[in-house]
Amino acid sequence: MRTFLDRLYLFSGVASAVCLVVICLIVVAQVSLRFADNVVFLLTGDRYGLMVPSAAEFSGFFLAAASFLALAYTLRHGAHIRVNLFIRNIRGRARNMIEIFCLAVAGGISAFFAWNTLLMVLDSWQFHEVSFGIVPVPLWIPQSAMLAGLAILTVALLDDLVAVLRGRPPSYRAHEEAEASLAEEIEREI
Amino acid sequence: MEQLYPGLVLLAILFFMLGMGVWVAFSLLAVALAGLALFTNAPVGQAMATTIWGSSNSWALAALPMFIWMGEILFRTRLSEDMFRGLSPWLTRIPGRLLHVNILGCAIFAAVSGSSAATAATIGRMTIPELKRRGYDSRMSIGTLAGSGTLGLLIPPSIILIVYGVATDQSIARLFIAGVLPGLLLVALFMGYVTVWALLHPEGVPAGEGRRTWREKLYTIRHLAPVMLLIAAIIGSIYAGIASPTEAAALGVVFALLLSLLSGSLTPESFREALMGAVRTSAMIAFILAGASFLTVAMGFTGIPRELAAWIGALGLTPYELLAALTVFFIIMGMFLDGISVVVLTTSVIIPMIEQAGLDLIWFGIYIVLVVEMAQITPPVGFNLFVLQGLTGRDILYIARAALPFFLLLCAAVAIVIAFPGIATWLPQSMMAH
Repeated sequence: MRTFLDRLYLFSGVASAVCLVVICLIVVAQVSLRFADNVVFLLTGDRYGLMVPSAAEFSGFFLAAASFLALAYTLRHGAHIRVNLFIRNIRGRARNMIEIFCLAVAGGISAFFAWNTLLMVLDSWQFHEVSFGIVPVPLWIPQSAMLAGLAILTVALLDDLVAVLRGRPPSYRAHEEAEASLAEEIEREI
Repeated sequence: MEQLYPGLVLLAILFFMLGMGVWVAFSLLAVALAGLALFTNAPVGQAMATTIWGSSNSWALAALPMFIWMGEILFRTRLSEDMFRGLSPWLTRIPGRLLHVNILGCAIFAAVSGSSAATAATIGRMTIPELKRRGYDSRMSIGTLAGSGTLGLLIPPSIILIVYGVATDQSIARLFIAGVLPGLLLVALFMGYVTVWALLHPEGVPAGEGRRTWREKLYTIRHLAPVMLLIAAIIGSIYAGIASPTEAAALGVVFALLLSLLSGSLTPESFREALMGAVRTSAMIAFILAGASFLTVAMGFTGIPRELAAWIGALGLTPYELLAALTVFFIIMGMFLDGISVVVLTTSVIIPMIEQAGLDLIWFGIYIVLVVEMAQITPPVGFNLFVLQGLTGRDILYIARAALPFFLLLCAAVAIVIAFPGIATWLPQSMMAH
């Protein structure tokens, strides 16, 4: 189970990275084709309208997928920002209670968000909603990536909630502390 | 006043959530949910899913992960290592000499990295030991670093301006161009101050190490020049209307990859690290923006921003008085929160107020970035001050005192931009002309 969950978070992070690469490729292809079109126009006086169809829309869809799929991975790496000012010096049981509160609030919101996204995806599917661009994309497809990301985030938050309830530190603690100790390390070096 | 009661309840919820350490994005979502559930009859869940879906699949927002990725790649080249050696031969004849390396290094680095704290940490790690070894005044070394970490955030590509543009529905291209002159103004103010200081305190600046020939100067700057050209190309192509910010960003990624390939720092390892670093940072910011977009819609439903604007309007403040009040408010917020969080949090409530006061939203974006970054070095509790505390091992009051002149210079810059709004608005207007 542990290995499965860890692989799930890593896999969703990698899927997000692939989406970023795809966005870059789409945009570069779009710019190159427009450039080629202008060159051809200058040379021959004809325009072929070279372009990536619906490039802007596809970039947006991949961006949404990239953003949501990476949420759990980002959480596990302690990269979602929070205000540490008041809680950073609290240790032991009190700190555990605070983490339980944070994880419960976040987990509840995330589950509610995922559930309503599921309803939205079902709606889009049922009413055959498509995007407006040149290539009509059924909206449930990109929306499903958002749903998957939120579902995995909910699982990750519950995962950490269970860990803290059992008295173990949350997954992101190590990374948060690594950042704090980096400053100390630099200090020693100088 | 009692119309403001829902606003105060939500503000209390927000501060409680943030103070307890709930992630910023979840705090925003919680306040938006509470606002809709407590004070409206709107379908809460449906509004949440559709609003956030609508704001998350955006072409303009795609510039964000691309610029972050570009910065992550450049971080892993020899850029930061060569910053000191590349810049110092050029600055030996200006009074203050290598102190200017901090300022220019931070300006260049912050432009590509987008985080003032990370910039101060990265550049400081390189320059503080060097300056110390050569006998530069340590308070000035720390002060220049604290101040300069903030200034590059106005120089495109600026992550925080993308965030502001997306949160307020303004053109990112125009915001980028608007940030150029105020950014240069800050560089000039900082360098001017260091020059004057060095003339008054010759004992704080050790003697130079002799002149370098042009050939040497050009040789040492070979690793920096491509990055400066990259920033110039991004600004130029957006200004000329050749490329949108998203296009400039994707091309920037390709260029950064080429640069790191040519400098020999591109390995499968560094590629993977840069990409996954970009994934984390952009997911973090995108999630905060998702929360902010929902909060903006929720606030619209509750009518709080409208009432607040009406209330402020009834007070009959001049725009200057309003800006003075906002400046104090932003500085207080900036003591606890990073700049991006402050921007998304406040824009969802105060934009109607700003529009009512007749202020230009592009100009306001530059103003808010200036003020929020100023807050990061506000003595005694600015965000960047803590970074520098870790970096130098000095106590926070020493650092706050070192940063104070630069804090005051930032105040002066805010005053100048308020008195002469053209510094921010002239370039974007001339861009629209052609």
